[in-house]
Amino acid sequence: MADLRDHSVGFRFRREWPAYIYLIPTVVVLLFLNAYPIAYTIYISMTDFGTGGRGSLLNYHYIGLTNYYTAFHSGLPTTLTLLENSLFWAGGSVVLFLAVGLGLATVLNQEIRGRAVYRTLILLPWAMPAFITILVWSNMWQYDYGIINEVLATVGIKPVAWLVHADTAWTALFVTNLWLSFPFYTVVFLATMQAIPKDLYEAASIDGAGSFSRFRRITLPYLAPTIIFVGLMGFLFTFNNFYPIYLITSGGPGISTQIFITESYNKAFGSVGASPQLSTAALYSVLDFVIIVAITVVVIWRTDLTRNWLK
Amino acid sequence: MMPRRRARKWLRLGRRIASHAVLIVAVVFALFPVYFIVITSFSKIPIAAITAQVLVPKVSQLTLGSYQQALSGQYPAFTSLLENSLIFAGSAAAIGMGLAAFTGFALSKFNFPGRRSLVYFILIISLFPSFLLIIPYYFMFAKLGLIDTYPGLIIPYSAGAVVFAGILVKNYMDSIPDDIEEAALMDGLSRTGAFFRVLLPLCYPVLGLAAFLAFVGPYTDYALAHVFITSSAKETLALNLYNIATTDTGASNYGVVTAFAIVMSLPIVVFYMAFQRYIIGGLTLGAVRG
Repeated sequence: MADLRDHSVGFRFRREWPAYIYLIPTVVVLLFLNAYPIAYTIYISMTDFGTGGRGSLLNYHYIGLTNYYTAFHSGLPTTLTLLENSLFWAGGSVVLFLAVGLGLATVLNQEIRGRAVYRTLILLPWAMPAFITILVWSNMWQYDYGIINEVLATVGIKPVAWLVHADTAWTALFVTNLWLSFPFYTVVFLATMQAIPKDLYEAASIDGAGSFSRFRRITLPYLAPTIIFVGLMGFLFTFNNFYPIYLITSGGPGISTQIFITESYNKAFGSVGASPQLSTAALYSVLDFVIIVAITVVVIWRTDLTRNWLK
Repeated sequence: MMPRRRARKWLRLGRRIASHAVLIVAVVFALFPVYFIVITSFSKIPIAAITAQVLVPKVSQLTLGSYQQALSGQYPAFTSLLENSLIFAGSAAAIGMGLAAFTGFALSKFNFPGRRSLVYFILIISLFPSFLLIIPYYFMFAKLGLIDTYPGLIIPYSAGAVVFAGILVKNYMDSIPDDIEEAALMDGLSRTGAFFRVLLPLCYPVLGLAAFLAFVGPYTDYALAHVFITSSAKETLALNLYNIATTDTGASNYGVVTAFAIVMSLPIVVFYMAFQRYIIGGLTLGAVRG
């Protein structure tokens, strides 16, 4: 509506008050189902809720920053492994997504026969619900009856125990994650490339620019905002992408592919019989959230994403 | 002149062949698991005996038996699973979409004191991983006696939908010129009237997208349902798929697992493919041109 920025708060309130009524249900949701649970999680992370010792499920106490002290002293190796794995998982995935997405979009952006067919076929994995396809992939990676080892056997490669070694387990995770996401990145980059005015390329060709320098000087600068935006979104999403790790490796072998979110869930609801370690689970949630917010703030502050996002 | 032109022609041909090769590799990678699921669902071969030969089946080895088994004779019954999934996901979609419409309208078309702070607050809140809200929810809902009840799942599912759908609708409404609302006000409509009669109809596409995404989340949710559902009468399609895929019966009869997976994902796949351009545009919040 009319620009009211210059008017006083009182004037704006009198004119714009119906907005508060529209927002009542949402504010209730934000307070009781978001803000309160987050505060409650922070509180649990400062109790002895299920850490053994005095704390039990019904009777727990506030113990201040003791759990944080433990996590950064005696528990430091585990905390660092989780941090390293979370960053490796999200960062590695995003690099793969961007590289494959940009590469395929560049190829598809030529006048090539069957382009629409290729595009549609490539998009298919994205249309399938991830939870379902990840369950299928976790089966495909099995050592003794997984289809991947069976196909490798036909070209004479011995079966690989994918989920038993840390490096092959990461390979399985990255390949699966690439499969889940490359269609989306390819199509998004292709759409952006197709919006670049054609005469820019024509002018560059006349000036004698080769295809590589046209890509570097025209395509890339034009794509930069999109790359930063979908790159950040992909990083945040993958950092907390629960199902691939939970369903394929369960964080194994050991905790070598475990990330904050899966370890937190396991500590809280993990195995039947084992007593839940709620305060540790809550602590990992808090660390996860702090890292995510920090990364987002830095990226938004260092780039001008704000314009797109926070109008 | 001639040799040079011919060289350029060969270069172009080589480039075309290389492009097709790259795209064919990408398509094979994209389609292989899909093909594997489909072919397994029609195959008689139990998973333990699977070899690469399953990928080139003989007609005599094909059967609809797995579909029959997936849709009948299982406990809990398929209809009960479907009903629960539709209740949870449908309610979340309806409630989430309804609240998101009002949220988007208020955040986009009003300039009330505190608007900016609220937008920042929602964006920061939305960064908290939804999977990790399950932990506090569990204890809050246990105190309220809501574990293993329909509201106990519908409430968190809808709450998750409101946050992202609200942002989605706000971004969409930002792109609708203020003139349209002002013209409606000139014609004597109140702001609420202008919202319902003019703005809301313009937002049907984004509301449809919000409802669809709010549906798919709960429809394929395992993490929350696994913790919150304890009786088999409330089991969902996703929970059941996990159970049959990870138990021994699942491993020995993988045809049923894949048949179940196909039946469950087919409506979603059709919707995604039909509205792909629209969904991708919505998901990138308009940051992507074209």
